[in-house]
Amino acid sequence: MRRRNGIGGRLGIGLVFLFLYLPIILLIVFSFNAGDSSAVWQGFSLQWYQSLFHNRLVMESVATTLLVSLLATAIATAAGTFAAIGIYSLTRKWRDPILTVNNIPMMNADIVTGVSLCLFFVAFFNGWRGFAEWINSVQSVVTLPERLHLGMVTLVLAHVCFNIPYVILNVAPRLRQMDKNLVDAAQDLGCTWMQAFFKVILPEIKPGIVSGALIAFTMSVDDFVISYFTAGSATSTLAMAIYGMTKKRVTPVINAVSTLMFLAVLVILIINNIREMQQEKMAEKRASFEPVKPNPFIESVREKLSTPGGRWFKRIAAAALCVVFVVSVGLLAAFTGSQPVVNVCSWGEYIDEDLITEFEEEYGIRVNYQTAESNEAMYSLIKNGGADYDVIVPSDYMISQLIEEGMLEELDYSQIPNFELIDERFRNLPYDPENKYTVPYTWGTVGIIYNTAMVDGEIDSWSCLYDDEYAGQVLLINNSRDALGIALKYLGYSMNTTDESQIREAYALIEDAARRGVFQGKVMDEVFQTMEGGNAAIATYYAGDYLTMLENNEDLAFVVPKEGSNWFVDAMCVLKEAPHYDNAMKWINFIASTDANLRNMDYIWYASPNREALEQYPAWYEEQYGEELDPEIYEIMAAPDEVLDRCEMYVCLPQETRTLYNDLWIRLGT
Amino acid sequence: MKNKRSLFAVPYVIWMALFVVIPIVIMLVYSLTVTVTSEAGETLQFSLENFTGMGLYVSVFARSFWLAIIATVVCLLIGYPVSYWMAKEGPGFQRVAMALIMLPMWMNFLLRTYSWMSILENNGLLNQLFQKIGLIALYNSVTGQNIEYFQMIRTPGAVVLGMVYNYLPFMILPIYSVILKLDNSLLEAAQDLGASSVNVFRKVILPLSLPGVLSGVTMVFVPSVSTFAISRLLGGGTQMMLGDLIENQFLGGAYNPHLGAAISMVMMVIVVVCMLVMNHFGDGEEQAVML
Repeated sequence: MRRRNGIGGRLGIGLVFLFLYLPIILLIVFSFNAGDSSAVWQGFSLQWYQSLFHNRLVMESVATTLLVSLLATAIATAAGTFAAIGIYSLTRKWRDPILTVNNIPMMNADIVTGVSLCLFFVAFFNGWRGFAEWINSVQSVVTLPERLHLGMVTLVLAHVCFNIPYVILNVAPRLRQMDKNLVDAAQDLGCTWMQAFFKVILPEIKPGIVSGALIAFTMSVDDFVISYFTAGSATSTLAMAIYGMTKKRVTPVINAVSTLMFLAVLVILIINNIREMQQEKMAEKRASFEPVKPNPFIESVREKLSTPGGRWFKRIAAAALCVVFVVSVGLLAAFTGSQPVVNVCSWGEYIDEDLITEFEEEYGIRVNYQTAESNEAMYSLIKNGGADYDVIVPSDYMISQLIEEGMLEELDYSQIPNFELIDERFRNLPYDPENKYTVPYTWGTVGIIYNTAMVDGEIDSWSCLYDDEYAGQVLLINNSRDALGIALKYLGYSMNTTDESQIREAYALIEDAARRGVFQGKVMDEVFQTMEGGNAAIATYYAGDYLTMLENNEDLAFVVPKEGSNWFVDAMCVLKEAPHYDNAMKWINFIASTDANLRNMDYIWYASPNREALEQYPAWYEEQYGEELDPEIYEIMAAPDEVLDRCEMYVCLPQETRTLYNDLWIRLGT
Repeated sequence: MKNKRSLFAVPYVIWMALFVVIPIVIMLVYSLTVTVTSEAGETLQFSLENFTGMGLYVSVFARSFWLAIIATVVCLLIGYPVSYWMAKEGPGFQRVAMALIMLPMWMNFLLRTYSWMSILENNGLLNQLFQKIGLIALYNSVTGQNIEYFQMIRTPGAVVLGMVYNYLPFMILPIYSVILKLDNSLLEAAQDLGASSVNVFRKVILPLSLPGVLSGVTMVFVPSVSTFAISRLLGGGTQMMLGDLIENQFLGGAYNPHLGAAISMVMMVIVVVCMLVMNHFGDGEEQAVML
């Protein structure tokens, strides 16, 4: 159908594009920000593009994302199209239930699909292990690998799994629209089935296939949860890398890489469009005027290709390309597989990444560095058997839970001489009383971040979180443990209490404040842009992150309230049955060194547990930047003993208490 | 011949049995059991308590479906005319437009949502614009109130906006690809027979494009119900939806995958019922048109 649009139609299309592109433009603008905020503009700079090309983790994850998405889209589009044709030639009795099952991966919450696929793959691997062991024991001609791992293959399978329904949903309407007699007519006129497919069905349903493929690719690129549970411990997609950063903050490096990808696609689109427009013009010319003089070489190639032999050549060439592609992927995998590796799982933006390169050069061990979104997300993945990490960096309370459930391996401290450098204050802590499992990585405090331009005077108590004075200006931390823990502390109880009445009292305090409209909302990592942009007066967050915000908004202040607060330690541990135990020891020792601690402290603004690094940091800072480190900033970063004395460390709560926390928290959201 | 073509469905049915049905069965087992920790370790035990305790979450269910329905209707109201207009443009424009509609979705979801946050914040782009053009002053003088900004973020409206933004392309593409393929001679015939352009649209174009609408509605409504993070980021955590509730069971402090699986099962059953009702209605329409 074709009739020209009036001004209304054009305007409508324009408005929808404005709606679709407004956030994208903003995102691109902030990729050129001199600061690291996505809310406060600090001048033009290309620094994020520069750091992008040094950022191996992001670059690798982009490559993985493209590879996985393209492969999954190609497979899903082909399979989905044939499946749709098949389904549509079934009777309704069969068609409807199949289509319903087809929709299931779409209907399920992503996390349920992800976890169930993870469980499915792990169950299959366990079955395979038994089978391979048996095969290997009864014959010696072939040796089957006994241990399979989640990785690229399972990732692609999972993506194909959630992509196919979208392809079918897009192809199906076109099939319904198609006159079913067309195929019969073509075959009556002597077409083989294949010819009828390529000459009749395919052109009819092509727009549906294209939109199906587009949607499938989009879903693949954007998927996080399902990838997280099926990618294993050595593969990471861009979305996984980005979500991993949300434990701290998403850097503008991601804006930069997104901008580049966006521009690349845009350029391809424009080139493609110009080419097709030229071809159309050529076709018109050919039809109306004298024939355009054909290029003899191209014409001869075209002629050759259209002979039966030539068609075979085309097919073989296409097949060969596929083979080359698969083999190169396989070789790449085999190459990285033969190298000694260590699988590390940490948080995004939680290491000076040059350290990874240095470690690799020094020891010849490749570091597969993955990031998780939260302690709980990491726990869930490990618990389901979806990861074989060597080194993980959980927080204190999670460490005690992992130890309790027997999921950690004892460390061989004889291989970690740098452990001697860890300050006495950070050894034998409650989560690991005999210090058999852990080497501390960072530590810090939780406190109030407030905007001095929006708050009168100084704040020194948690009471401001629950007062009407700042109604609508307070951000509650969106984590039951922290929010309730602070309320408990304010009421004078222990943050680790298991007394239900005390916890309920704390909940009542928060609920009452929520009812009175004190809270603007509940936030986690969004706190950065909300506080930097001056959109709220008061928030609760970590000291190290406050220092990051301070760089973008000088009005912000930080205090550890007088009632006391939480202090935390994140520490390196090794999982039970870690496949590369000795490499893990080398990594831990390397990261525990004074030099690595100084650089990490500078990069992430969280305090180091290394005695020397703590002492040397102010001098080191002066040497690096040519200016003195503000002692107040140093005190916020590395809280002095008198502050730590009024702080409490989380311990792992019993299951009933955790469930109570969770139930109360959900009730607050409803 | 007919049978030969239906053979194409066989590999897919096997695939579904492996990668769709088995995982669903695993989750069904999860939803019907609880983990019991004893000295021998953790064992699964049959229990219905995951389902019986679900009454607590009725409001979350209601909110999720309600917001998803609103988002779907808004998507349809915006998406249909846009697809229609797009199909009327030249082929060069269409090629580019179709890709341009999907392109924003290739930027990471989180980044896009953060971007929306800075647009909608109290001190954000839109409020600053309203301030500049005097809209807020105007509002204050008309209503006699004294506000400094419009509260847009952390409201149900912001959640709907986030869902519409995310799923609008999924509405536009199928409708567009169906409208594009409409037989022009049908429209001309209707016009020749004296139908006004409104009637041509109502009696010919609309019924014929219904399969695309059905696909679009499915692809918007279904993921909207189970969406997560949008409500957390744009709704400020006060608009908890099913996706967040389920995520919370798997990735929250309490770690109760059994309850998460159970909620997901119930959600799925409700969605299936919705889809069946809609498909029934849709197919009826289609047959009516064919007659």
